[in-house]
Amino acid sequence: MNWRVLVSSRNSNTKDMELPALQGIKVLDFGWALVGSLTGKHLADNGAEVIRVESSTRIDLSRTNRMVKISSGNNPDDKPWYTHLNTSKLGLALNLRKPQAKSIVAKLIRWADVINENFTPGTLSKLGIDYNFAKTIKPDIIMLSSSAYGQTGPMAYEWGVDGTGLAMSGYLDQTGWPDRTPVGANAPFSDVVLPYINAMAIVAALDYKRRTGKGQYIDTSMVEVCTHSNTPNLLDYQANEHFRTRNGNRIDYASPHGAFPCKGDDRWCTIAVFNENEWQAFCRVIGNPVWTKDTKFADMKSRKQNEDQMEKLISQWTLQHTDYEVMHKMQAAGVPAGVVQTMADIVDGDPQLRGREFLLPVKNPELGIFGHPTPAYKLTKTKAKVRHAPSMGEHNEYICINILGLSDEEFVGLVGQNVFE
Amino acid sequence: MLILKNDLVGKRMDMFENLLSGYRALDLTDEKGFVCGKILAALGIETIKVEPPGGDPARSIPPFLHGKPEINNSLYWLAYNTDKRSITLNLELERGQELFKKLITQCDFVIESFKPRYLDSIGLSYITLTKINPRIILTSITPFGQKGPYSGFKGSEIVVSAMSGIMSTNGDADRPPLREGPDTIYFESNAAAALGTVMAHYVREKTGEGQQVDVSMQEVAVKRSSSNLLVWEFDKCLIKRAGTIRTVGARSTHWIWECKDGHIFWSFMGGKPGSQGNRAMSKWIDDDGIENPMRAITNWEEFDMAAQDVSKDLLDAQQEAIRQFFLRRTKKEITEEGFKRGLNACAINNPSDILENPQLKARDYWANIDSPKANNPLKYPKYFFLGNQTENFVKSAAPVPGEYNDAIYRNELMLSDKEIDELESSGVI
Repeated sequence: MNWRVLVSSRNSNTKDMELPALQGIKVLDFGWALVGSLTGKHLADNGAEVIRVESSTRIDLSRTNRMVKISSGNNPDDKPWYTHLNTSKLGLALNLRKPQAKSIVAKLIRWADVINENFTPGTLSKLGIDYNFAKTIKPDIIMLSSSAYGQTGPMAYEWGVDGTGLAMSGYLDQTGWPDRTPVGANAPFSDVVLPYINAMAIVAALDYKRRTGKGQYIDTSMVEVCTHSNTPNLLDYQANEHFRTRNGNRIDYASPHGAFPCKGDDRWCTIAVFNENEWQAFCRVIGNPVWTKDTKFADMKSRKQNEDQMEKLISQWTLQHTDYEVMHKMQAAGVPAGVVQTMADIVDGDPQLRGREFLLPVKNPELGIFGHPTPAYKLTKTKAKVRHAPSMGEHNEYICINILGLSDEEFVGLVGQNVFE
Repeated sequence: MLILKNDLVGKRMDMFENLLSGYRALDLTDEKGFVCGKILAALGIETIKVEPPGGDPARSIPPFLHGKPEINNSLYWLAYNTDKRSITLNLELERGQELFKKLITQCDFVIESFKPRYLDSIGLSYITLTKINPRIILTSITPFGQKGPYSGFKGSEIVVSAMSGIMSTNGDADRPPLREGPDTIYFESNAAAALGTVMAHYVREKTGEGQQVDVSMQEVAVKRSSSNLLVWEFDKCLIKRAGTIRTVGARSTHWIWECKDGHIFWSFMGGKPGSQGNRAMSKWIDDDGIENPMRAITNWEEFDMAAQDVSKDLLDAQQEAIRQFFLRRTKKEITEEGFKRGLNACAINNPSDILENPQLKARDYWANIDSPKANNPLKYPKYFFLGNQTENFVKSAAPVPGEYNDAIYRNELMLSDKEIDELESSGVI
């Protein structure tokens, strides 16, 4: 827990009092699951006023997830995963299927600069609150819709999850051992990369609007964004008819290149040697054993040809050292190397991440103080400010009365009709 | 004709064919930072790669056109430097630094991926740049960030994948932890860098002041592991690599399956998110007329894998039936028939599948781009997003080294033939 103390003391430093980057921007956020939630989070953490609209009648999956013991079956507000994904937002519970909800949405659109949504394509049209509707209320609105496959085309109405992006883009085909079934990390990629593109498109559209007065409708597809990450292989196949597939930890332009076993239970350190200088330094670090002089390992090409044997020889050395010893020795000699860190190593020990305030201790009313993710791209002057995520309907009254200008009577009337559920 | 920044104040509407047309970036990155500039270029920012004379060393990254390792043949380089211009300039020589400072006066962004403090060591620190142009935005993309005990470490895709915890959850339990196939860490970090850059730009246009954007690849990657961080922080439980099983809580199920001619992604999930697919799977196994342990569940919406009353034996039996089911069918059958049945399964695509995918074709996703050494145009992904007012498309091939030297040195900096000859012969450009 010592990192919390360190981080808190750093927080008291008040020399950077500049406003966050998106101060003054207003966002109507229908985003849910990972992609929509994180898109809104990027904007909210950077100072935009983001109203997250959700309903317990169609509850967000992160509000039902019980990956940790503290989470119960029926309380939508005791899910730390939900809070990780939705920091710094205001919360409005609103049942969009109620006819009275539409006038609230209309008021929200009038208030907003940006609308963010990632329902299955067609959902907002069915509810009568899609882009065409929004434009009639606010012609210069910026609206972003993101989905698995995009808003058009034969697959548009098929829903998808993180793995959809991984499978369709070729990530899975490329990840794993050549003799085995593909695998993927137990951490989302598609779901996390798309929100960066989403938020970037929104902010670029805000700048475009500043210069031209024009709003914009933006359509993003998880599969399409992920496919960019496979472009070199797609070109290789087209140009050379070469079917590159998964190959463990090996790559064509570095050797050794892999994870090597170290002292301890399931401890590993990666080492990556890209050139002759690094190879010489690597050999010095492991004490220039005789095998390194063998012509089989004399240059990159020979090492690639004898990689099985070389990896076994390297393991003999790495097994005599701890993972962190291997990393520090290699790095000190100028060889790229890094420990295969677990979450325990990262949360409890990594001094680098701690120094960057990668998790900010924030108090959540239901769950107490725990680390909340801050933006990993640090704007050095206009710093992000992270607040806890809203509980279900936490800001209903504030939003309706203070932001949208409803009278107390109107608000109470709508409460009585269960519009805010 | 070159448009100077100050002329853009009273911009013409037809200039805004992309979201950020009319701005300029200098891109000093190696492979760790290519994609950020690629994204900015697609937004319409004139992105000029500054390469050392002789070309960027990253031009030696395979694969190569025709398998030949020549300077304009790296498909890795071509893939991620589309729409950029190229000038050559030796930043380690004093004359090169002087020219760079001149370029800074007419530029809005600098993107770099050098080791932290390298720019300081050649007299081009962020502070120096802001003295020349206070509006400048400097985006720095590095393995571990600008400061801190690991900031001087060398890093690459696999090293950062390890240090960020991604590798600890990827791979088969009986073999070493694995990197991901594509350079996902580079890619995601660059998407994050592009967001930070555009955000800093948005602020700059309000305040007139630029800033540095400090991107740590390790920090970007670690944030993918939100749920794994939480189960450690709350329950002191470590998620480890488990092959084709995705660990999501008390019960974990397979999400990658072998089929007759390849592999399939299909998530066996509980609750409402999984209900439609589970019902479709159960029905399809029924239609095959074989024993179906999925039939034991009648209400899939309330099938909660974390609940105590769902037995591990039942889950195992169901997954065995699903495994057998997939093995009986091809990728095509599973995806096409599955689409009609609401199964929500995806084929694990190889490059040929991706290029032939009807959805991507229907959305006009591919741009045909000629490059100097390719016999035929190659298909590149055309866009990162679609906008109804602007076209933010990938349009042109990556440059050959120095192809924009004349435009910059002769036409913009107004250097004479003699000066240019001298710069060339002294290895500055």
